[in-house]
Amino acid sequence: MGEKQEPLFTPTLLRRNRSERFWKILLQFSTFIGIIILVVLLLNIINQSFGYVAIGYKVSPAEIVDPGQNLEKLSVPQLAGIIRQRVSPGLLKQLEKGKTLEHYSQTELVKLVIEKIAKPEIVQTWSFWQSLRMREEIRREVSQLPGTRLVFFSWIRPDILISPQSSNPLTAGIRTALLGSLWIILIAMLVAFPLGVGTAIYLEEYTGDSTLNQAIRTNINNLAGVPSIIYGMLGLAVFVRSLAQLTSGAWLGLSNSESANGRTILSAGLTLALLVLPLIIINAREAIKAVPDTLRQASYGVGATRWQTIWHHVLPNSIPGILTGSILAFSRALGESAPLVVIGASTYITVDPANVFSRFTALPIQIYQWTSRPQPEFRNLAAGAILVLLALLLSINAAAILLRNRYKRY
Amino acid sequence: MNNVTVGKIEVRNVNIYYGKFRAVKNVSISIPDKKITALIGPSGCGKSTLLRSLNRMNDLIPGSHMEGSITFHEIDIYEKSVDPVEVRRHIGMVFQKANPFPRSIYENVAWGARINGFQYRLGHPSMDEWVEICLRKAALWDEVKDKLRSSGLSLSGGQQQRLCIARAIATRPEVILMDEPASALDPIATLRIEELMRELAEEFAIVVVTHNMQQAARVSDFTAFLTMEEDRSGILVEYGKTPQIFTNPVDSRTEGYITGRFG
Amino acid sequence: MLHKTARENFDLQLASLISEVKDLGMNARDAVRVSIQALLSNDIQAVKKIISEDQRINEKRYELEIKCIALIATQQPMAHDVRLLAAILEIITEIERIGDYAKGIGKVAVRLKDVKIDDDWQHFLVSMTNKGLVMMEQGLEAFILLDDKAAREIPGLDDEVDEIYNQLADHIAHSYSINPSNYRQAQCVLWAAHNLERLADRVTNICERIVYVQTGEISEFDNPEIAA
Repeated sequence: MGEKQEPLFTPTLLRRNRSERFWKILLQFSTFIGIIILVVLLLNIINQSFGYVAIGYKVSPAEIVDPGQNLEKLSVPQLAGIIRQRVSPGLLKQLEKGKTLEHYSQTELVKLVIEKIAKPEIVQTWSFWQSLRMREEIRREVSQLPGTRLVFFSWIRPDILISPQSSNPLTAGIRTALLGSLWIILIAMLVAFPLGVGTAIYLEEYTGDSTLNQAIRTNINNLAGVPSIIYGMLGLAVFVRSLAQLTSGAWLGLSNSESANGRTILSAGLTLALLVLPLIIINAREAIKAVPDTLRQASYGVGATRWQTIWHHVLPNSIPGILTGSILAFSRALGESAPLVVIGASTYITVDPANVFSRFTALPIQIYQWTSRPQPEFRNLAAGAILVLLALLLSINAAAILLRNRYKRY
Repeated sequence: MNNVTVGKIEVRNVNIYYGKFRAVKNVSISIPDKKITALIGPSGCGKSTLLRSLNRMNDLIPGSHMEGSITFHEIDIYEKSVDPVEVRRHIGMVFQKANPFPRSIYENVAWGARINGFQYRLGHPSMDEWVEICLRKAALWDEVKDKLRSSGLSLSGGQQQRLCIARAIATRPEVILMDEPASALDPIATLRIEELMRELAEEFAIVVVTHNMQQAARVSDFTAFLTMEEDRSGILVEYGKTPQIFTNPVDSRTEGYITGRFG
Repeated sequence: MLHKTARENFDLQLASLISEVKDLGMNARDAVRVSIQALLSNDIQAVKKIISEDQRINEKRYELEIKCIALIATQQPMAHDVRLLAAILEIITEIERIGDYAKGIGKVAVRLKDVKIDDDWQHFLVSMTNKGLVMMEQGLEAFILLDDKAAREIPGLDDEVDEIYNQLADHIAHSYSINPSNYRQAQCVLWAAHNLERLADRVTNICERIVYVQTGEISEFDNPEIAA
């Protein structure tokens, strides 16, 4: 001994630590960018949802009442008189269909006067940021305009949930669209969930690994990646046109007012069901595959049949995963607009859907429609509707998480 | 070997295949009633495959098929008219790693009995009583009687395995197959399982696969030694009474394995 | 018999144990030889050495017994190994007995220290001794090699030893009937011869054990000629 030996290990610690730090910073950076983007998106929407609004009237309230009087403090006969004076005969007839004007309540009459006679309209809107920064200038501007008042408006307000569509941004709401979306998702759920989970059970538990089965599996995976508009075209061809008799409700005599037509909620629901089906199958299959085989072996060992094993052990064990994934798939479907447009969602309905055979519109489509209108106020409305949609999606995801945690306990 | 009395399970000229691969070659063995039969041998010699074929658990593996006959009560259990589900009720199984259902202790024992048509009749035990009987036979009752509704997974490893044993005997089988039941347990738990096996052997025929030769020597009445041939199929080398196999085996391969001088 | 296996440690310990058993046996054999020599040449000094040697033999025997039991406990021997260890426990007992016989002959030598034994009796004793010592050597050799074939042949010599003993006994009886005053010498010589005869029996037992180790069968090598 005594000779210098070549060391077996060269010191690389410094280099490794540097590499370690580099990657950590890079990953943190990418996370940061992602967060920034999300925050910017959210801020932008909020910016559009709040702000000053200058409301003008077609007929200023001051002109309607006698000088010195306050419109809101007028009595019922006074208000009724004003209405009879100013309103068109046709509208009067409509208003008095159920009861005469005198039988309306005071607040209702005030509302009518404002809505039908004064007809408020938006003169200008400002974004939230602008409202904050340029408050004085805005005030000055508005005070120069006759008959307009400045209001700090929140575009996302309870009213939009319950008001139907209208051409006046002040009174427009998302009710029809919201109901349409919910109906459609419900149908999609009722169809896709059992079909998807059933298929997943069959593929995972009953079939082997033959080439045919592998081909089926690959194809299902591919279907999940098909652009959603293709599903729209499929839906159009199959549900709207070929099965028009079925989907329009003609077989039940419930067809909508135009000629029996398959552009109904049923068609939309079925189309979205098709869209979501591959996702449900894939997700359910993963959840079922994750159930450890020892559990199945134990079940077979006490003499259970295959179905008993699936029903009593495999499914309960995989339900949390299946539910989570399915709920997420449905929340995705909630945001789909392209296939619904192809199917023929109406862009302007004011009437709530009566049954599955009604014409429909959906929330994303409403938002799209509003953003494409020329008046800038509609963009603010759209922002408000987007917030509603986001809230809906978030609550669905929260429900998914809650469900999963609840079932994970045992 | 015992040819005079017919064993509880008679295995004759059995070959078991996974697809084209022959895992077990031409094994004939007689499993005696109310005794413990141990299957020993090096890894891969087909002991577990042979064990699983006794209650048709191999059916669950795609591509698995067998030739030969395995008779139980003089009926070939692989005959077309025989339902494997029925076979498994009469020939129960305990696995290497304890796998109780993720349910309550009570449910673990009761479920198997229930799906096999356990009914309350006058003069017969109720389900509650039956669960208690099975847990007592598995030497677990005293430890769990106050927490029957708690999860089976909350028990220790040895207790879980005893729960699996209770579950297996809840269907009133005649044979219990055990695939290395104590290999995942500490020595004390292992000894308790072995004690339990001796008690159970008074009522059931037991077949146990084990890697632990000393365990086979301690606990079994009969021992079968299997080994792997060059084509990797398992064959039965020797079968006999345990004291004789471990003090004076006939075949030199058996001697080589049990003295540790090969493999 | 011992090949490079997964149990090298165990095999080494077994080999060392077997070797020590043989050494013990050789010590006992030497003790017997020395004791007969002391008897025939009236050498009292030698007898003292024999007695202390016997003490050492006893101690060594216990030492080997403990080693043997330790191997059984720690190595979980099966089949051949367990038969071998069980046989070793028996064999060292037999060897220790043989050591006792040597001591017995030494004590007889002290009692007859002033007496020269009759020549023809000496002749018988020497003959028995030679055969007995050969049996021991062959027996220990067969043990080392675990040669059960050789072990089966050795008990044949036991028959010869018995034959010589009978002849000697007749001779002594006849001589005593003629000359009763020779009582003490007769009795002591008979006792020494008896020890030698028992020695041969012990070796036979050892051979039975060797056969058991190799075949797993215990059988006695009976002498059908000796009636009672």
